[in-house]
Amino acid sequence: MTEHNGNIHKLDMCGQICPSCLLIALKEVNSRRELLSGGGALHIYTDSRQAINTIPGSVHNMGYQTNIVKSNGLYCIEIQKT
Amino acid sequence: MHGEYTLILITSLACGLAAGFLLHRSEFCVTGMFRDFFLFRDVRMLRVLVFMIVVSMALVHGARAVGWIAYYPFPLLGSMSLTNILGGALFGIGMVLAGGCVVGTLYKMGSGSVLSAVAFFGLLFGSALYGEFHPAWAALTQQLSVFGPAKTLPQALGFAPSVLIIPTLAVGAWLVVRWARRGQLIMPAHADGYIQPWISAMALAVIGLVSYVVVGMPLGITTSYAKLGATVESWIAPDHVASLEYFQGKGLNYTPPFGEQAITGGAGPELDAIAAIQYPLVAGIVLGAFFSALLLRELKLHYRLPVRQYASVLVGGVLLGMAARMVPACNVWHLWGGVPILAGQSLLYVVGLVPGTWIGSHILSKYVVRGPS
Repeated sequence: MTEHNGNIHKLDMCGQICPSCLLIALKEVNSRRELLSGGGALHIYTDSRQAINTIPGSVHNMGYQTNIVKSNGLYCIEIQKT
Repeated sequence: MHGEYTLILITSLACGLAAGFLLHRSEFCVTGMFRDFFLFRDVRMLRVLVFMIVVSMALVHGARAVGWIAYYPFPLLGSMSLTNILGGALFGIGMVLAGGCVVGTLYKMGSGSVLSAVAFFGLLFGSALYGEFHPAWAALTQQLSVFGPAKTLPQALGFAPSVLIIPTLAVGAWLVVRWARRGQLIMPAHADGYIQPWISAMALAVIGLVSYVVVGMPLGITTSYAKLGATVESWIAPDHVASLEYFQGKGLNYTPPFGEQAITGGAGPELDAIAAIQYPLVAGIVLGAFFSALLLRELKLHYRLPVRQYASVLVGGVLLGMAARMVPACNVWHLWGGVPILAGQSLLYVVGLVPGTWIGSHILSKYVVRGPS
């Protein structure tokens, strides 16, 4: 499920097969370079503990920073340009 | 039921609960360790796996030196055949498509994964399906047998175990110390309640040792999938289950280390020694992960998922269930129990598992995981 809200693009990856979340996150970061370089953000909602640990490092290597927010049992990985 | 069973039931349940909790907290997914090497060239968790094997090897042989190990090699371990490689390859494909191996599926299901619950049913079905072609597969296994009755590499080569174990341990220890010094066994930790996998690896090696010392063999659960599958099948077609050779066999016949008389068990639907050893372990792993997720408030069911992912875990689960019987056994039994004593079946299994995981990873990234809809 995807949702676009202003300059924040939201993506729900909860419950999906491993490693969908990391694969899709990397794809999305690549395909939404314009949004991200224009000050926008990508918010990925996930319950995959593996994705929560691996995505920040992977997107950091691509020049982005992350912030992880946990609410209501779910994690949101907020990705934006450094 | 005789006294032999009480200690086994309690030990297996306790081992399962502790393992399930740790597996979830550390996201200790063996499938992911191999798969992510192929998909992302990420070797970090593979290092942790090697670390666990080295620690298990040291613990088991230390325990053997002080006389704690009743059976070496352990019961249920068979002799080598090239079918171990074929089974391992199929297992590798199945586990990637199922999103977890035989044990991974349990802890993920326990922590609320709907896909893993579907994979679990596929596993039961695949394990029971094996009963249909067991005689043919057993004949092929016999034909492709290698090194005769030898069960371990040292036996096959005619050496005392220490001749191979000591150098292997020395090389393993050198590698692990090198990684530890460079901080390469530490994983990034952003998830709540995350336990560093190297800590869980040590704890899991100790849990495996407890099982080996008390129950007489390392942790294993795959026969119980066939047993549970056969149980369900026997409600529907009792005569058919009774007619299958595989469900009549009693592959396990041993006297537990702390028991006085022999107990037996097999893949049939009866509540026997296999059920006593493996059912509590299966239940423990599921419950341990359930409690872990519950304590973190991360227990949420998500079922509105892409259809191709449901199809993948179902097909993967069936393949995995069949493969677990064809190998025979699984990652935990072989990597955690067999490889540390250089069991021939376990080494051949790994030879098949690696290319199998490579194939599975390709299928997964090409056909299963698609961009957002």
